[in-house]
Amino acid sequence: MAADGETMELDPREFDSVTFQKDPFPIYRRLRDYHPAFHDRFHNRWILTRYADVDAAFQDNQSFDRAIYDPDGDYDFGSRHIFGPNILEYGNSPQHRWLRNIVAGQFVGERLNVFLPIIDKIALEVISTFEKDGELELIRHFSSQFPIRVISNMLGLPREDEEMFVRWYQALIAGLGFGGEHLARGIAARNEMWEYLEPLIEIRRQNPGDDLLSRIAVAELEGKRMDIIEIKGFVALLLAAGGDTTDKAIANMWYHMLYTRPDVLPEVIADPELWSNVFTEMMRYDAVVHAQFRRTTREIPLHGEVIPKGASVILYLGGGNRDERTFKDPDVFDIHRDDLHMGRENRSGRYKDGKPGHLGFGMGPHFCMGYAMARQEAVIACAHLAKAMKNVRPKFATHPGITSPSIDSGGFRSPNELWIEFDRA
Amino acid sequence: MTETTRTLKVDFKKCIKAGECYYNHPDLFKATESYYPTIVVSHPSTATEIREAREAAEVCPSGAITFEE
Repeated sequence: MAADGETMELDPREFDSVTFQKDPFPIYRRLRDYHPAFHDRFHNRWILTRYADVDAAFQDNQSFDRAIYDPDGDYDFGSRHIFGPNILEYGNSPQHRWLRNIVAGQFVGERLNVFLPIIDKIALEVISTFEKDGELELIRHFSSQFPIRVISNMLGLPREDEEMFVRWYQALIAGLGFGGEHLARGIAARNEMWEYLEPLIEIRRQNPGDDLLSRIAVAELEGKRMDIIEIKGFVALLLAAGGDTTDKAIANMWYHMLYTRPDVLPEVIADPELWSNVFTEMMRYDAVVHAQFRRTTREIPLHGEVIPKGASVILYLGGGNRDERTFKDPDVFDIHRDDLHMGRENRSGRYKDGKPGHLGFGMGPHFCMGYAMARQEAVIACAHLAKAMKNVRPKFATHPGITSPSIDSGGFRSPNELWIEFDRA
Repeated sequence: MTETTRTLKVDFKKCIKAGECYYNHPDLFKATESYYPTIVVSHPSTATEIREAREAAEVCPSGAITFEE
């Protein structure tokens, strides 16, 4: 029911406001309570925000298609995307499944386990660059360095070129969210990177090794390999998707420990196993990604509305994760909550403990491909950081908070900067 | 190797309902209403089926899937 003075009406222009970018949660709540199937006529789209609806739409892949373009239509795949032709554009087609399965196996199960010591080693290497300084800006000095080095190792790129990769990666990411000069620098970096990659890809096509780049270079569908442009697009996507999201997850975990729940930090430092809970609760409370997009393939009757066939639908997993219908006191960051599955994620989102999982990786067929690796990287990194920094504390008493350039553009949620102080060893 | 000796199996005591098998290899596995998998092709025979069966066994997060060849 509407509280006094609270407006049930929602002006769609609120989605374009700075307020929404910074703190979307009050709007999500109004949507959940009064407009569970909201038709945003201004942006020509529909919006779902309740946990059960977002979960159901993710699971019902036949009715809510991931693809924006028809695989048999006129669109020239990759022509309008910064990464070139890539897995994100193909939706439900066999082409998508093929591309996905080339790399998906690398990030879970036994293949991930054998890679964990390397993740460990790279975390310690990056920490060693600042551990004597007594302070760091977490994003610049650690989180924008670490996952990108891990993924470039997995691809089998030369370690001595990692610095270059970090630079290209940072320019590429800056180019994604802001446009203008940043976009130009991003595209320049991408082109430089692609030029660099070409001979390395050629070598692997002739003489494949057991690295991920070789796997991509020689994978065949019906006897045909990907062409060089497709391979380069795939690599750019892996660097961005595998790097940026994990980068921001680590920053968000520390932000919440330093500013949202500083009272809990000592407990987590004393028991590093709890970083796993911090990760899970961060993915519920304010995940790196808040929005996913779908296109309906049939009419969907829902909450007294009918979403027409072919409609654009935004699934606000950031809204579903704060649904009071699913989580008690959803606006409290609680690493011990007993109404959330706290352990490792399942693509199905169905757990033997019967508890709901967070929606931070999506659900179902298009669940984040790198979910298991992202969790491992984030938890390993945070535990090593906490161990290396004695008496760790925020450098500044207040912080402008987590924001995103634009949630609807897929802009990822994170603090812009996070300065941390600690005692010099 | 004959077709019937290649066998794809799920150990339901180990299975954690991760869903990797039925989402990534829908030709070989299907989800039940309880989100456990059920096997569609018990004895993979084509090159594609065999490749996918190996992949499914290799990446199963709980080690519940085995593919005997």
